[in-house]
Amino acid sequence: MAQREYIDLLELQKRIKEGIEDAFPGRYWVKAEIASFSPRANGHCYLELSQSRGGLPIAQSRAMIWKWYYPRLKAFFEQAAGQPLQAGITVLVKVQVAFSELYGVSLFIEDIDPAFTLGEKALERKRTIEFLTREGYMEMQKELALPELPYRLAVITSKTAAGYGDFRKHLLENEEGYAFRLDLFEALMQGEQAPASIISAILKVQEEPYDALLILRGGGSDLDLSCFDDADLAVAIASCPVPVVTAIGHDRDVHIADLVAHTSVKTPTALADLFLNAYRAQDERLDRLAQRIGSAALRLIGREELRLNSSDAAVQRAIRGRLSVLEMLLQRSVGRISKGLLHKYADTARLCDAAIHRVRFAAQARVSAEVSRVALKEALIGASDPRKILGLGYVLVTGKDNKVLKTVEKVRVGDRIGVRFNDGSLTAKVDEIYTERIDNNIVNIA
Amino acid sequence: MAEKFDYAKAIKELEEIAAKVENPETKLDDIDALVGRSKELLKLCREYLRTVKDKIDSLDKD
Repeated sequence: MAQREYIDLLELQKRIKEGIEDAFPGRYWVKAEIASFSPRANGHCYLELSQSRGGLPIAQSRAMIWKWYYPRLKAFFEQAAGQPLQAGITVLVKVQVAFSELYGVSLFIEDIDPAFTLGEKALERKRTIEFLTREGYMEMQKELALPELPYRLAVITSKTAAGYGDFRKHLLENEEGYAFRLDLFEALMQGEQAPASIISAILKVQEEPYDALLILRGGGSDLDLSCFDDADLAVAIASCPVPVVTAIGHDRDVHIADLVAHTSVKTPTALADLFLNAYRAQDERLDRLAQRIGSAALRLIGREELRLNSSDAAVQRAIRGRLSVLEMLLQRSVGRISKGLLHKYADTARLCDAAIHRVRFAAQARVSAEVSRVALKEALIGASDPRKILGLGYVLVTGKDNKVLKTVEKVRVGDRIGVRFNDGSLTAKVDEIYTERIDNNIVNIA
Repeated sequence: MAEKFDYAKAIKELEEIAAKVENPETKLDDIDALVGRSKELLKLCREYLRTVKDKIDSLDKD
C-alpha cells in the first residue's frame, strides 16, 4: 500500500502563512465595524471586526492592536474623532494581514483614520436629520413659545450628575432672589440605554403642566454622546408639547437633540442663566419703565417750572422797567424838590437860628430881670426887718390895743403908749400931740 | 382669596402710564397720581418676579 504523502499541520500552517504573506505583502486600509473590543491586562487590545448587511454579519475577522501601538492609537482616535474607540463604531484601519500557525489569520492594526469615522458618523447624522426634516420634526419645538417668565421647570438628568448640582445652585441661589419650581426626572444620560430612558422621562414630564423641560447631561464622558444623535430621542423631543431646552455640554458638536430642541445651551450654568435672564430682562424692563416715567415726569415739571419762571421773569422785567421809569421820575423830582428844599431849608435854618437867638436873649434877659428882682426883694426884705430898723435907733410905738401905731391920728392926750427899742421897751403917757410931718433923720421931741 | 396678581396687565398699565406722562398734553396735576400708581405697580411687579407661585397655583386648582 502506497504511503500517502502528507504534511503535518505546522507545515500546512507555515505554507498558508507564506502564501498569505506573499499575497498580502503590504499594509491595507480596511473599513469595518468593531463588533467587539477587549483591551487586556497584558496591554494588547483584541478586537472582532465585522461587516453586516441587512443586519446580518457577512464577514468577520480577528484583529489586534499591539500594546506598543494601543495607548497612542486610542488617544489619537478619541481626541480627533471625539468619541471612544469601542464596539459599535465603524472604523477605517490600516492592517497587516498576519497568520499565526497557532491562531490563524489575524489583522494587526497599525493605524486608524478618525476622519473616516467622523465621516461615517456625519453620514449617519445626515440621514437622521434628513428624516427629521422630511417628517417636519425639526421645526416643531421652534413653534412653541417659552413663557415670558418660565417658572415650573422639569429637569431630566442623572441625579448624581455634577452638572445638576451646579445648575440647581446657580438657578435657585440667584442673587436677585427670583423664584422657580424645579422637578427632577431621573434618566440614564449615557450608554446604549440612554435614549430609551430619556424618552420615557419625557413622556412622564408631559403628565403635568410645565413651562419648560430641561435635558441636562451634566457630566460623564465627553466621548459617549452618540445617544444624543439618536433618531427616536430626536422624535420624542420634537413631539414634546413643552419647550425643551438641552444642555448636553459638548463644545465641538451640535447634537441632533440640540437641533430639534426649542433652545440649546452648552453648560449647566448657561442653562440656569437662560431662565434667570428671562427674569433679569423683566427687571430691566421695569427699570426702564420707571426711568421713562420718572424722567418724563421730571421733564414735565421742569417745563412747567420754566414756563412759570419765564412768565415770572417777564413780569419781573415789566416791573423792573416800570420801576426804573418811576425811579427816574423820582430822581428828577427828588432833584427838583431837594434843590427847592435846600433853598427853603436854608431860609428856615436862618429863621430858626434867629428865633433861637431871640429866645436865648429873651430868656437871658428874663433871667437877669428875675435875678435883679429877687435881689431887690431880698434887699427890701432885709431892710424892712423891724429888728434891723430898731438897731438903727428907730422905735416902735404901740397903742392901747398893743398894736403898732403908724399915725398920731387915733392917739389922745393922756393915752398910755408903749415904746419898743431894740433892747427893751417902756410905757409913757402922751402929754401933747403935734400933727406935722418931720424931716428925715431929725426928731424934735421937745 | 386675594385676586391673583396679573403681571402682564400690570406691565401694560405701566406702559400706558409712561405714554401718558410722556404726553406733553398731560396736566401737571395728574402727574402726581400717575407717578404714585406707577411706583405701586413697579413694587408689585418686582415682588412678583421673586414670589414662589405654587401656593397660588394650587389654590387656583381647587
